[in-house]
Amino acid sequence: MRAFFAPWMVGPNAEPTFLVWIVATLVKMIAVFTVYMVGVALLTLAERKISAWMQDRHGPNRVGKGWLQPVADGVKNFVKEETYPDAANLPLFILAPILSFVPALITWSVIPFAAPWGSVFGNIEMVLAPLPVGFLFILAISSLGVYGIVLAGWSSNNKYALLGGLRSSAQMISYEIAMGMSTIPVLLLAGNVSLSQIVNQQAFETWNVLNLTVAFLIFLVAAFAETNRLPFDLPEAESELITGYHTEYSSMKFSMFFIAEYANMVTASALMATLFFGGWDIPFTLWDNVAPHTALKTLLTLGCFATKTLFFVFLYMWIRWTLPRFRYDQLMSLGWKLMLPLALAYIVAVAATIVTLDALGFEHGSVPFHVGLVLLNTAAVVILFMIVDRGRLVSPAYSRLDRRDLEKLRAVSSPHRAQPVSQAGD
Amino acid sequence: MPIFDLSHPADLTAALFPDLLLMGGAMVLLLWAVWRRESAAHQRTIGLASIWLCVATLGAVLYMLFHQGHVTDGPIAADSFRFMVDVIVLLGTIAALALGIDDNDRMGTTTAETHVLMLLASSGMMLMAAARDLMIVFLGIELMSVSIYALAGLNRRSVRGAEGALKYFLLGAFSTAILLYGIALVYGATGTTGLYEIHQRVVELQLGSSPLLLIGMALLLVGFGFKVSSVPFHMWAPDVYDGSPNPVTAYMAATVKTAAFAAFLRVWLEAFNAEIGTWHRAVAMLAIATMVVGNTIGLLQRNVKRMLAYSSIAHAGFLLVAVAAGSMQGASAMLFYLLAYTLATFGAFAVIVVLSRGDAPVTTEDLSGLWTERPWLAVAMAVYMLALLGFPVFGGIGFFAKWYVLKAALQAEEPQIALAVTLVLTTVVSAGYYLYVIMVMFMRPRPANSEAVTPTPGWTRFVMVATAAAILILGIFPDQTVRYVVRGTPRLGAYVPPVKTAPARQAALTH
Amino acid sequence: MERTYLPILLLVGFVVTNAVAIILISHLTLRPRPTAEKQTPYESGMPVLGDARERFSVKFYMVAVLFIIFDIETVFMIPWGAHFRQLSCGTDLVAGVCPTGQLSLFGLWEMLVFIAILLVGFIYVWKKGALQWD
Repeated sequence: MRAFFAPWMVGPNAEPTFLVWIVATLVKMIAVFTVYMVGVALLTLAERKISAWMQDRHGPNRVGKGWLQPVADGVKNFVKEETYPDAANLPLFILAPILSFVPALITWSVIPFAAPWGSVFGNIEMVLAPLPVGFLFILAISSLGVYGIVLAGWSSNNKYALLGGLRSSAQMISYEIAMGMSTIPVLLLAGNVSLSQIVNQQAFETWNVLNLTVAFLIFLVAAFAETNRLPFDLPEAESELITGYHTEYSSMKFSMFFIAEYANMVTASALMATLFFGGWDIPFTLWDNVAPHTALKTLLTLGCFATKTLFFVFLYMWIRWTLPRFRYDQLMSLGWKLMLPLALAYIVAVAATIVTLDALGFEHGSVPFHVGLVLLNTAAVVILFMIVDRGRLVSPAYSRLDRRDLEKLRAVSSPHRAQPVSQAGD
Repeated sequence: MPIFDLSHPADLTAALFPDLLLMGGAMVLLLWAVWRRESAAHQRTIGLASIWLCVATLGAVLYMLFHQGHVTDGPIAADSFRFMVDVIVLLGTIAALALGIDDNDRMGTTTAETHVLMLLASSGMMLMAAARDLMIVFLGIELMSVSIYALAGLNRRSVRGAEGALKYFLLGAFSTAILLYGIALVYGATGTTGLYEIHQRVVELQLGSSPLLLIGMALLLVGFGFKVSSVPFHMWAPDVYDGSPNPVTAYMAATVKTAAFAAFLRVWLEAFNAEIGTWHRAVAMLAIATMVVGNTIGLLQRNVKRMLAYSSIAHAGFLLVAVAAGSMQGASAMLFYLLAYTLATFGAFAVIVVLSRGDAPVTTEDLSGLWTERPWLAVAMAVYMLALLGFPVFGGIGFFAKWYVLKAALQAEEPQIALAVTLVLTTVVSAGYYLYVIMVMFMRPRPANSEAVTPTPGWTRFVMVATAAAILILGIFPDQTVRYVVRGTPRLGAYVPPVKTAPARQAALTH
Repeated sequence: MERTYLPILLLVGFVVTNAVAIILISHLTLRPRPTAEKQTPYESGMPVLGDARERFSVKFYMVAVLFIIFDIETVFMIPWGAHFRQLSCGTDLVAGVCPTGQLSLFGLWEMLVFIAILLVGFIYVWKKGALQWD
């Protein structure tokens, strides 16, 4: 047996042979794709369970005590009747979900999801395609998703769908600028566009969330807007637009939009983890970053990456049930009048700081270098929240209420202070 | 004598100083323009500031013209050809801005950005004049064209204006794409976009018959043909000129043409000089077609702006004769011609600004009997028409402009008899419409029901007096003017006569 | 080369196949039984008035045009960002570090000028009211 595999066993540090490489690639591809599809199904359940938890109700609890609900939904969507509106442009109507689905499920291909595995068949990278242009690829592909949405809105020949599609495309392209610009500081530090290098640089230095806090905050907000999630879900604001661009879709074509939306959410979470939280790096240790790259390290780092990603997915849901929806003009002015100049100013600030620290003789990656950056960010965050914002965005809603009204509201909402009015409540 | 090392950022900045001054100033003015609420007064302020900025830039250009240094190879030139073109462009811009202030008032346009757009277009033109690299040529063309697309559509309420602007935008974008494709093919054939480097590669590698290079040159010719509105790429010109506001039309007819011809000539003489046998016939045929078509159709026009549009096409033909001569003499004749043409065109459009009412086109009917009502206006218009025609004495430098082009054509290495004959014959044809205007003004009675001509606004009067005076005075001393114009043209960048090669050029640079 | 870009091609092929398969399967599972009511656009149960493909607000075009300008700015910044350390060093980097005394402000200035030019455009657009959604 060993003799049979001998030609391919090149040792843990060598480049695998083409056959091994292509097999590994196919396995990674199918595995991650499956994880995405199953994960999305489970996320729909998680979303409903978490929202139920946050609103103090049960959530799905019928089909297999709720756990089989995604399966039931999937089967139902497969056997549902498809409708095609009379005036729809049929080719585009069918093309739109595909155009939305495909980019959402290929963006992940450049994100490294675990430490490389030095197997007997060679060193296997835990990323589908270690592109040297990594980040550019993500920007390029994720912006393709807007075609699906705008085509869906237009081809349906439904006024709500059209409005949803327009709003969505305007919103996505507006925030794409802020998103792209918020990653420039990351490149300034990493000196490279490849995501593997960015992860490595963070592992050996500091996580970018400390170095580049403001960039992370901009990226976070932009990522929410890019994925059309609350508080930026204007394109499908139920109370205004039914469900926005996919109003006319039924059956699996509707599901594909749904899958695309959740897949985008997962990818955005993975990107946040990769760009600002060290990717698959296990914090406080370099054990996982150095050879020998054993299978154990790969599994542990994979777990670490999954944890970080799932945290951000949870954050998505958490924020959905916490914040109200923006008004459309607020949304656009936040993107253009705050995020864009902020990102530009931050790029200049970081570049100037790096040059200054260099001039002062602090080497890249040394402790004083990062302390300098952290100080800059602390100052920037303080300025941002205390002076620029002044409680307009980042503040609890009650801080804007009149004090007397506040007391009244408190009395109503908290039964400990006020007398219980009734025992009712569902 | 300063020496500019263009590979060094500081020296590059110094060599580009006039351009940077204009661009930087334009950006400051843009912010100033938008900072205050739109009003007629604000529009005039910005217009005035723009004129002063142009004057300052003109000062910088003149300083550079008289204090030229040696320049190393680089993407931009710092020769007197560039600075002379800059002078003509800036004179045209000042005239266009001056007319623009009055015309905006007349049309009720209060957007102050119109002046800034003109400044930006002019900085693009100055870049075109300086470019010694096809990429910079393209950059200049884009900067110029995009601003002009917006200017052409300034009359938003006018249907003809919208039609013209859209036509100009679509055809302009189309021709730019063709030009860019030509640049790509030339780059593919030679592996460089630097004009002199292209020349070197063509000579070294014997690329004369390379299909890539030939197709690239043909596409470049088409692209430039669009920009200078030569036949058969002239279709857009009459509609666009007719629909645009008067000062913008004058600007497009004269100044844009100046910059386009400057870039055209430099590309042709610096990059493809060794291939003169290949392109010469094509340019000569374009010139003949342009002269014949422009002048013949011009005869049929009764709308004065359309007539001037065809006249501008015809003048593009005359200028192509200078390009086709393929010599330094042709280059200086072209510069002199452009100067004369710019002065006469802006003068003629100043008269149109005075005669225009609302959005209606000015026809020859409106001109009839002008002599009885506004004699000086009629006399000025007569001077411009005679200058455009190339009439001796009364046409001022117009005559000498044609004369020098003719001389350049006849004294070229291969005398261009056919071109010279066509030039003379079509000039005679053009008398048919230029003299018709004069005849109408002086010999027809004023129609009884015609409205009184409005008084000439201040800036328009300034433009008319200045251009008419310049045409007549320079016409008395053409030799001195030509000497100034010619002064630097033999050092057109790194011009190399076709027989000699690199060492001669080095010598030319260092002497 | 093949090991960098081949997986992307494979993945695109795989995902597109999946997408088409999903649509085909769901198309084959149940024949559509169209009725006139089912075929009308769903607009909250109200009778449909007119066609949806009408002119819409020019603001959306404006956003698209502005997007192109600023997105290209971002794309220009990416190579600058990735090469910032090389650009702010007078000589070649030694082991990723700039030799002492060789620091140059070229990279910083270059981008400051670029950002300043775009900032002028941005301020213009802002003051002109193109970013105002009312």
